[in-house]
Amino acid sequence: MSLLSRYWFVSRISARQQWAYRSEVLVRSVSTVLFMGIFVALWRTAFSVSQSTELSGYSLVDMLWYLAMTETVALSSSRAFQEISDAVKAGDLAYTLTRPMAYPFLQVANSLGSSAPRFLINLVTASAVVAVGVGLGAGSLGGALAFLVMAWLALLLDALIAVLIGMLAFWLEEVLPIYWIYQKLLFTVGGLFLPLEFFPGWLQRLSQWLPFRFITNAPARAFVAFSFAEVLPMVAGQLVYIGVLLAVVSLVWKIARRRLVLHGG
Amino acid sequence: MAKSLRLILMYLRHNLMSALAYRVAFMIQIVGMMLNNVMLLFFWTVLFNRLPTLNGWGLEGVITIYAIVAFGYGVAVVVFGNTFHVAEVIAKGDLDYYLALPADPLTHLLVSRMSIAGWGDLFFGLLIYCIALPAAWRHLPLFLFLGLLSGLVFVAFNVLVGSLVFWLGQAQNLSSQLGNALLTFSLYPIDIFPGVVRVLLYVLIPAAFVGSIPAKLLMEFNTFQLLELTIFVIVLCYVARLLFMFGLRRYESGNLVTARG
Repeated sequence: MSLLSRYWFVSRISARQQWAYRSEVLVRSVSTVLFMGIFVALWRTAFSVSQSTELSGYSLVDMLWYLAMTETVALSSSRAFQEISDAVKAGDLAYTLTRPMAYPFLQVANSLGSSAPRFLINLVTASAVVAVGVGLGAGSLGGALAFLVMAWLALLLDALIAVLIGMLAFWLEEVLPIYWIYQKLLFTVGGLFLPLEFFPGWLQRLSQWLPFRFITNAPARAFVAFSFAEVLPMVAGQLVYIGVLLAVVSLVWKIARRRLVLHGG
Repeated sequence: MAKSLRLILMYLRHNLMSALAYRVAFMIQIVGMMLNNVMLLFFWTVLFNRLPTLNGWGLEGVITIYAIVAFGYGVAVVVFGNTFHVAEVIAKGDLDYYLALPADPLTHLLVSRMSIAGWGDLFFGLLIYCIALPAAWRHLPLFLFLGLLSGLVFVAFNVLVGSLVFWLGQAQNLSSQLGNALLTFSLYPIDIFPGVVRVLLYVLIPAAFVGSIPAKLLMEFNTFQLLELTIFVIVLCYVARLLFMFGLRRYESGNLVTARG
């Protein structure tokens, strides 16, 4: 079995495991309904107060479909940092070292697999709430296809960051606050709650170079305003950051393994 | 009452001392949570740059809501750290421990855990109120009182929805979704929602009593409304306690043997 097919196998198993608990995921999608319901109310009010049909180039329908897509990706994101941090603290890493795969990438594959069913359910739920709230009328077939491809790359990028945060447990007593900060960077400079076009100029320029926008803003923007000229550089940006993070994760894992102390028992 | 108060203070001290055993983790969590909350305000800052007000609410009003909710939430999870775990404790049969001791079981259950990150919420609420709002110092006692009332709504509502487990069995997921809904809705000004949702936020999920109503009181004080809010919170706490005690009659112990440190 080639290396890639091993990771693919792990992803498939994780996806099937997650699918077995789909009723639980469905109950959790209440959060998606809640968030999207709040956004529909908030932006309806904002557009009616502003008395204009567009804010920073987004109509009400565009804005809500944009948010449906960013929320879909964000609510399907990885929690791998928790598992890695727990394993580091408990010393459970010992069992994983014998496997024919590098532990961090095993976690990435695992995370991508378990995200898939959640992604599907969140996408359907968020789209349903927005369709009921403001109707269809945003996106295109090209935009939808670009969204699916870019959302997958975004989840891969997110899983790599989550694994990196988890591995910080080799040096820090508690990694959860680092994850909170990462999550809030997605909220802000990632464009999760507001498209980047709303930001002041200097922040827009800064956000465009950071990896966070490639996770939430890029796929959602591709859905509501699809054009090859805009999508291709964003996909390229995703690929560059994935490459960089693959290298950083490998390097950190190499250093971290030297710190690993295994006790008998 | 005095006995319960002593129990609360003793646990607060004990939980704080255990948390301080890992000082770095303690500090990282507090600072991390404060940063986390600051970044949440970013959305409103950008939005109010574009729009002057939203149905009567401006940036100052939203900061007041965040300050009260964060402070109240912080108090709730620092002092009554099991607030969000009531359903889980009942469903797992872990109430046995609290029933066997000569202290009030509900109070004991609630205070036996402390959320360290909750300190970050508590400090954040207090700090943004004092730093970001003009004339904040003059109303500080009122802010603290309203924050405590908000905290009590969090505790009482979570005890109410957590107690549903006595009747529904495995309802931890439902209970945690309702608890999170209270927190999420409380952070938005009530007047942005349409009529029906607004009614729901007064009646079904009392989010208006956690954020918008106390914030309005801080900005425009009204003795009668303060009295109404205080009575509402007392009644909610009483009903939550009554439901928990009533549910206790249906409680079935597990046979799990655990050791408590």
